[in-house]
Amino acid sequence: MNSEVAAFFSPGDFLAILPEMVIAGMACLLLLVDIAVPRTKKCVVPALAVLSVAVAAWFSYELAGSGVSAFSGMFVLDGYSDFFKLIFYIVAVFAILVSLRYIRTEEIDLGEYYVLLLFSLSGMMIMASGTDLLTIYLGLELASLPVYALVGFLQKSRKSNEAAMKYIILGAFSSAILLYGISLIYGLTGTTQLAAISAALVTGDVNGPLFTLAVIMLVAGFGFKVAGFPFHMWAPDAYEGAPTPITAFMAAGPKAAAFAVIMRVFLEGLYPAYDSWQMAIAAVAVGSMVVGNITAILQTSIKRMLAFSSVGHAGYALLGLVAGSEEGMASVMFYLFVYAFMNLGIFGIVIMMRKDSQSGDQISHYTGLGKSNRLTALAMLIFLFSLAGIPPTAGFIAKFYVFMALINKGMVGLAVIAALMSAVAAYYYIRIVMLMYMREPEKEFALASSRGLLCVLIIALAAVVALGVYPGYFIDLARYAAFPL
Amino acid sequence: MVPVTWYIALSAVLFMIGAAGVLTRRNVIVVLMSIELMLNSVNINFMAFSYMLGDMTGQIFTVFTITVAAAEVAVALGILIALVRSNKTFNVDEIDALKG
Amino acid sequence: MSGHLLSSIIFLPVLGALVLLFIKDARAIRWVALVTLGVDFALAIPLLKGFDVSTHGMQFVERHAWIPSWNITYYLGVDGISVLFVFLTAFLGVICVLASWKAIEKKVKEFMIALLIMQAAMLGVFSSLDMFLFYLFWEAMLIPMYLIIGVWGGPNRVYSAIKFFLYTLAGSILMLVGMIALYFAAGNTFDMLVLMEHKYTFAFQIWVFMAFFVAFAVKVPMFPFHTWLPDAHVEAPTAGSIILAGVLLKMGTYGFLRFCLTMFPDASRFFATPIIVISIVAIIYGAFLALAQKDLKKLVAYSSISHMGFITMGIFLFNKNGIEGAILQMFNHGITTSALFLCIGIIYERTHTRDIGDYGWAASRVPVYATFLFIFALASLGFPGTNGFIGEILIAFGAYEVYKPYLIVLLMGILGGAAYMLYMYKGMAFGADSHGHDGHGDSHGHKVWDVDFREAIALLALIVFVFWVGFHPEDFLGYMHESVGNLINQATASKFEGLGL
Repeated sequence: MNSEVAAFFSPGDFLAILPEMVIAGMACLLLLVDIAVPRTKKCVVPALAVLSVAVAAWFSYELAGSGVSAFSGMFVLDGYSDFFKLIFYIVAVFAILVSLRYIRTEEIDLGEYYVLLLFSLSGMMIMASGTDLLTIYLGLELASLPVYALVGFLQKSRKSNEAAMKYIILGAFSSAILLYGISLIYGLTGTTQLAAISAALVTGDVNGPLFTLAVIMLVAGFGFKVAGFPFHMWAPDAYEGAPTPITAFMAAGPKAAAFAVIMRVFLEGLYPAYDSWQMAIAAVAVGSMVVGNITAILQTSIKRMLAFSSVGHAGYALLGLVAGSEEGMASVMFYLFVYAFMNLGIFGIVIMMRKDSQSGDQISHYTGLGKSNRLTALAMLIFLFSLAGIPPTAGFIAKFYVFMALINKGMVGLAVIAALMSAVAAYYYIRIVMLMYMREPEKEFALASSRGLLCVLIIALAAVVALGVYPGYFIDLARYAAFPL
Repeated sequence: MVPVTWYIALSAVLFMIGAAGVLTRRNVIVVLMSIELMLNSVNINFMAFSYMLGDMTGQIFTVFTITVAAAEVAVALGILIALVRSNKTFNVDEIDALKG
Repeated sequence: MSGHLLSSIIFLPVLGALVLLFIKDARAIRWVALVTLGVDFALAIPLLKGFDVSTHGMQFVERHAWIPSWNITYYLGVDGISVLFVFLTAFLGVICVLASWKAIEKKVKEFMIALLIMQAAMLGVFSSLDMFLFYLFWEAMLIPMYLIIGVWGGPNRVYSAIKFFLYTLAGSILMLVGMIALYFAAGNTFDMLVLMEHKYTFAFQIWVFMAFFVAFAVKVPMFPFHTWLPDAHVEAPTAGSIILAGVLLKMGTYGFLRFCLTMFPDASRFFATPIIVISIVAIIYGAFLALAQKDLKKLVAYSSISHMGFITMGIFLFNKNGIEGAILQMFNHGITTSALFLCIGIIYERTHTRDIGDYGWAASRVPVYATFLFIFALASLGFPGTNGFIGEILIAFGAYEVYKPYLIVLLMGILGGAAYMLYMYKGMAFGADSHGHDGHGDSHGHKVWDVDFREAIALLALIVFVFWVGFHPEDFLGYMHESVGNLINQATASKFEGLGL
């Protein structure tokens, strides 16, 4: 009996999930800490949360490159998962820092907020490392459930509750579709381990209609998680209703995690069936770029606009997956890395605009910002140009890399569509620049800056510029992480 | 002896009923029940395949699915209570503060 | 120092922009900008002096590893074609600061920073030998130019700025796709010299040529892509117009020379006749539209379309006279059109109108100004002794060698140019002075005074080049002989390996 247990779990397995254990354990602990500390000392909880992310990051750094496969091949530590965990750590820390003042302004200053963020972080980490559909599914749910609650965290706001309700219904619906697809894959290949699925696809004859159905369901299920067209309906509502730091977190963190999973599932598990999913993903990618970017033009709320823009960005990133090459993967990873900074940066400014009665939710609220708050407007300008993909910002390099991967595989048509859509996207981004710089302000701006927020903005800005001018190191990192897969 | 295909057919039917329920029903509680139905159809699938393949993974997966589904419903109901407090309705058509 | 001359020229303005961030006083800001660009121009002089005209090879080459994963290098260098434009850009930079000395009153700091960054990007475009670097500079110009038009422009500036931005972005983003296709076709390199040597299939050349063509044609702008130009010019502040007319438009034709002719010679020859035809359309159409304008800036803008038609025609003639004439004409157009916009800016500062009908008193009230304007108008219409004459006559020689009837069209274009320029000058200087002003101001009561010292310096500097090129063109043509000879060799050699359609 003992030897059998030992075959399943070795102490090394627990070493491999040490960072995840730190995050999940600290999340549990913080619930108790939150009760213990007095109301006036609430900053202890976020401080400990940041600390636990730092500790987990340190463990991840120590474990990096070990290539351990733990729990009978259900969980792996490779360059790929390390790269994504790096993104998640950054996003989580940034999300905590930008929340500090915001949640006081909104009077939702509860310790649970940070606890839920940490739980979601641990879920994302499991997603990045999962190599079995079971671990991937569990990670996915662990990452999503806290976010559902966080979206509805503004208990008194009707919008927030509504957003959470829509999000959880559509999220659960998509999980059900995804699970059905997984069950079909399991039935057809007899396994849920990605490597074994891949092997079964090579040897067995599983290209029946049932397999196609399974692939479509997987695409649909994952499509929901990355908010790709036509599964993006939840995104604008959830983005608009959620507390802004959570919107920023959702757009950068769980979305990147969903990409981590998609790439692992499709490029490792289902790669032998590349021909059967390539078209489906390409259709989702093109649809996302077209619909996301064109609908974004029509928006008046900045959070909805950024939601549609993130649909468009998901489309670009999916193109890297369509390319189906290692370069394509590396390009997606680099894209997500850059997107995390741009996204946190621009939402950081939206958060800054929320003070007292001023909401900063509407695009028109930014009218004339360039006149009164030069540095803030300049930062916003750089983030917007980066989102639009204008050099010399990081957003350009990210798009460039995706184009390289596509054209290298001869998919010039898709590259041309993507290029044209980024010209469309430029329109709504520079429209905000125009409002900021070329119109007179309607009223005085009061900005709710805090040290945490400024810190995030400065780092994000530096990263966007530095990755735009000297991207070499991180491209190599993404390649190194993508190539063994 | 019931062939595996019957289970699969049953599961497909349940899944479709569940999906139709999510898309057409207006009461949030009913929508949540429909999602539960979809998840259970998945469970039937897993059990049937597990039985067919003589492999335990499907059964393990089912245990996890049931657990996660319970957690999901708990969160959903929590959000629903908050929503009903501020909105006083169970009808999804009347939940319309967000356009779209 | 000399090893990094090009880098110094490109990045000195950026350094100046950084310094400006910490200066508050508007006067000091103007001086710092002027000194920066003055030094930058001074650096461009050793570039011209040190240039070896006896070779077509790239000179002042700098190369450093940059993004090794994509085999991208920081690779600069100039040949006999680009060296002239580096010089022109550096020169016009100084003129731009002088032109905005008083015209820009709000947000002086931001304006000067945008101007300096713009300057760096333009210099970078002309000296890049790595295509990725080229594209980076090319696109980076969009942001400051968009802001210059949109923030400091005229009443309808926002519309014009967005139109400018979207037109040029849509054009150049296709070039990006073509560029990456080239990268893989030539074996993973963005090195422009390697890309020029490589052979591509004919079908590939056609596709990539078209992708590049759209980008450059929008910038030039060639006939159906020109509609952004009048809007942008009319709304832009004087310095913006000078940059647009003087440098930005040249980038399109420079692109044709550097990329299209050398990398896709077969496709270029394939498309040569259609391009010459639309150039002719642009020449005639631009001239007629210019003749119909009441607004001074619009008139000069349409005249630019006409003049750029001469240049694109010259390029696609594929002979020495045509191409040298085109390059010289690019330089000339940069000088004279900038000078005309500067003249318009000078008078607009006083009267706040650009309607030709509001003038007519220039010769009597501001005689010095009227003299300057007259010289530039003559240069623009190609009067013998001025720079415009040399350029146009060379293009005409080139056209004669290819197909004689082209001459008739050219002649019509030149006559048209004479017509609208003289019409403008007459309107400005000797028009019916029906308003009966009181001797101190214009018809609207604005106070009018003749050119002041600052303006005279700028105008005189421009005039030097008008006559220098006009009387001694060999000083400028000498730089390009070798490079153009090499260019023609590349452009006339058949490069494709089978049809590959």
